[in-house]
Amino acid sequence: MSVELASKVNRLNVTKDGGRMVSDYWENIFTARERGKRVVWYNGSAVNPIFQAAGLEWCHGEAFSARLAATHLEGPAQLAGAEYGYIAELCSYARTHLGCAVLTQRAAERAEAGPQEGFETGIVGMVDQEELASKLPTPDFFVNAYAGCSTGQQWDEITYRVFGKKVPIFNVSLPTLWGNKADSGYLRGEEWDRTSEYVAKQLYQLIEFIEVQTGEKFDMDKLRENMTYIKKASQLRREAMDLCAARPTPATFWDWISSIAQINFLPANQELVDYFANIKHEIQTRLDEGVPGIANERYRLYFDGMMNWNKLGWLAKKFADHDVAMIAGRYTHNAFWQEPHLIDTDDPILGMAQHYLLCPTNHGTKTLQHLMTRDVEKYGIDGVVFHSSRTCRAFTNPQHVLAETAQRDLGIQTMFFEGDVADASFYKDEVLDSRLEAMLEAIDVRRIKTGG
Amino acid sequence: MSDIDSALKVLADAVASPREYALAWKQRTGRKVVGAFPMNFPGEIIHAAGALSVVVQDSRAPITDGRSLLPEFHCGYTRSVADQAATGNFDYFDAFLCADHCIQLLGAVDTIRFVMPRTPVHFVQFISSMNDAWGQQQINETMQSFADELEQLLGVQITQEALAESIGLFNRNRQLLRRLYDLRRTGVNITAAQMQLMVQSSMVMDKREHNEILAPLVDLFADWTINPPQPVRLHLSGHLCHAPRAELLTAIEECGATVVDDDLFTGYRYISTDVVTDGDLIEALGRWYVDRNDNVPCPTRVQHNVDWDGYLMQSIDKSQATGVIVLMVKFCEPHMLYYPELRKTLEEHGIPLLLIETEHEGLPLESIRTRVETFVEQIRRRQSSVPVPA
Repeated sequence: MSVELASKVNRLNVTKDGGRMVSDYWENIFTARERGKRVVWYNGSAVNPIFQAAGLEWCHGEAFSARLAATHLEGPAQLAGAEYGYIAELCSYARTHLGCAVLTQRAAERAEAGPQEGFETGIVGMVDQEELASKLPTPDFFVNAYAGCSTGQQWDEITYRVFGKKVPIFNVSLPTLWGNKADSGYLRGEEWDRTSEYVAKQLYQLIEFIEVQTGEKFDMDKLRENMTYIKKASQLRREAMDLCAARPTPATFWDWISSIAQINFLPANQELVDYFANIKHEIQTRLDEGVPGIANERYRLYFDGMMNWNKLGWLAKKFADHDVAMIAGRYTHNAFWQEPHLIDTDDPILGMAQHYLLCPTNHGTKTLQHLMTRDVEKYGIDGVVFHSSRTCRAFTNPQHVLAETAQRDLGIQTMFFEGDVADASFYKDEVLDSRLEAMLEAIDVRRIKTGG
Repeated sequence: MSDIDSALKVLADAVASPREYALAWKQRTGRKVVGAFPMNFPGEIIHAAGALSVVVQDSRAPITDGRSLLPEFHCGYTRSVADQAATGNFDYFDAFLCADHCIQLLGAVDTIRFVMPRTPVHFVQFISSMNDAWGQQQINETMQSFADELEQLLGVQITQEALAESIGLFNRNRQLLRRLYDLRRTGVNITAAQMQLMVQSSMVMDKREHNEILAPLVDLFADWTINPPQPVRLHLSGHLCHAPRAELLTAIEECGATVVDDDLFTGYRYISTDVVTDGDLIEALGRWYVDRNDNVPCPTRVQHNVDWDGYLMQSIDKSQATGVIVLMVKFCEPHMLYYPELRKTLEEHGIPLLLIETEHEGLPLESIRTRVETFVEQIRRRQSSVPVPA
């Protein structure tokens, strides 16, 4: 049964619940100090189940930058960063978050100095936005566990310095999976085994560090419980993604983008499992009832690159307007607890370490070629869209080689468009329009030639 | 042509074309050439394996084929590396080794695997978090893995004796170059371009040959006339992976300033630290990696007991520099991240600072001259007792 759609974008209804969960999470973080909680700032991998088991509140720097950008409130933080001296070509996640650090420091100083005029909330404008950007509670300590980008580790080192080198910091070192040896490959080989053990050992060290910071013995049972929820949620997420191989797809890449925060850093609990169970249920229902993720799906594309958070809704609409169902992507489908079978809930540390290594920017290009090829074949992809994110070189590093692989080996079309993860000024709408139209025409021509 | 000029000409030829130098060396010796990527790879291991160790250099050639491998917003060095690989200019390398983790560097090195699939490209990452208790063991293991890999690649055995000899040669080379830095600080007229040439040529030449040229050069410079103290003495800071254009260094000094010190990669950062040869030599190289960051901290490492800005202030004390020019490679993320910390510290200590961003193509010398002249004038005014009008 087909359904007439009022809009070409038919977003999953459940993702609205997901949005509420994320808002509640941040509101809760903002009050952490008032509730007497200890706060950790962290970047990179999803080490939050460890923080949760230790009774901490956790603030993921990239996530907060992404949230500010997605809600178009990144300006004051980026201005504060620029004033402090960060150049606009620097990773906009880092620049935004470091701007938040500067504003948080200033807010703490203002709080010590007492109430002043000009900083009241209640008006919509720069002052309110600055209030939001400075709302993060100051950290009790930092944890950095950044895979696939050297800037990630350096960024927290600088945050540590912005806070006067007084806040303890722990670094988890995550080597790049270079994949050079004959036995190397995705989830296999001596390099995979060796680096997995290396990172697992560091996670035990991290737990010891947290015990020192909290003064309490770490609750390993609680971690097992958290990872049981994560594993269930991840299995449901993967199963739901698999259902989107159907034509037309019942959900799109944009729905998976809207569900990153939940799997990446929200608390591990039954609500998280229920969220992904509901996603799977809605997708299955759509399949049963013939409800597509966009109206009139004519093209099935794959998204390579970091998300452009400033333009999330805009891009979803733009592609749907061209009858493009963006089916899957490197960022959504090759990250975020994507291999739940690796998690041993009785002894979760090794599987966690392995997931931290499986960041989609932490592989050599050979493995990325394998992952893209696998996804393209699985989801019946007609072409790959590369988001050339100006300040995220970790993602742009392999894109030209991947594009050549897609064209030469897979025989599908590719296109690039310019933008950024959290800085709207790098986005070029006209370039995207013309390149997308050219790509879709090329797909049409190919179909005519091949009778497809 | 003076003896100094003659010697510098030999070094300049090697720097102008590392490929020609290496091909001639290969023909002469019948041995292999191994490329090592900045910033921390110990060339001693390559040398001990009987190969020519070459720190892979930026090329002055405009980026052409490399444009289809890396975007234009990656740093000039990495785009040049990709371009040289794609255009066949790396054909003289028999293998590449990399131990550093800069994300843009890894992207460039990965493109070599794509366009030169038959040339081995080995990468194992030195830990970059320097204060971790398990760091030294990881470094030693990584160092050993490089030795093992080279033995396999080149079909040789790296003995402790060979390693000791190589370390000796490299230490001697660094000591000679550091002697030149000492001479420059005391007023001997060694230009910034000359100093860079002497360090950069060390990165691409056979170390024994380089030492043979360098030792008499040091003596010649030591006999050189000491200039009267210059009022504007500059420290050049930055350019973490490759050489700034020599004409930029010359232009800076033509604006009425003297460069008295630097922490450039093709400068003091490269030569700062010797390998201490007690005990196992692979472990000694591992300690050298750690010691280097103690001596000249690098923003690509995270370490809490040292600071680049703190080092800079000590260096300024030693050289009596009166200003700092930061040479930042456009799109260099670790430098962009650390720059505000440098700026803050220098401002706190009243040290004037000028930031110059450099790009692979296009050097706007006239506008740079204007900026440097203004900067020099600011320092002069600051030094004079004449009050500046409000």
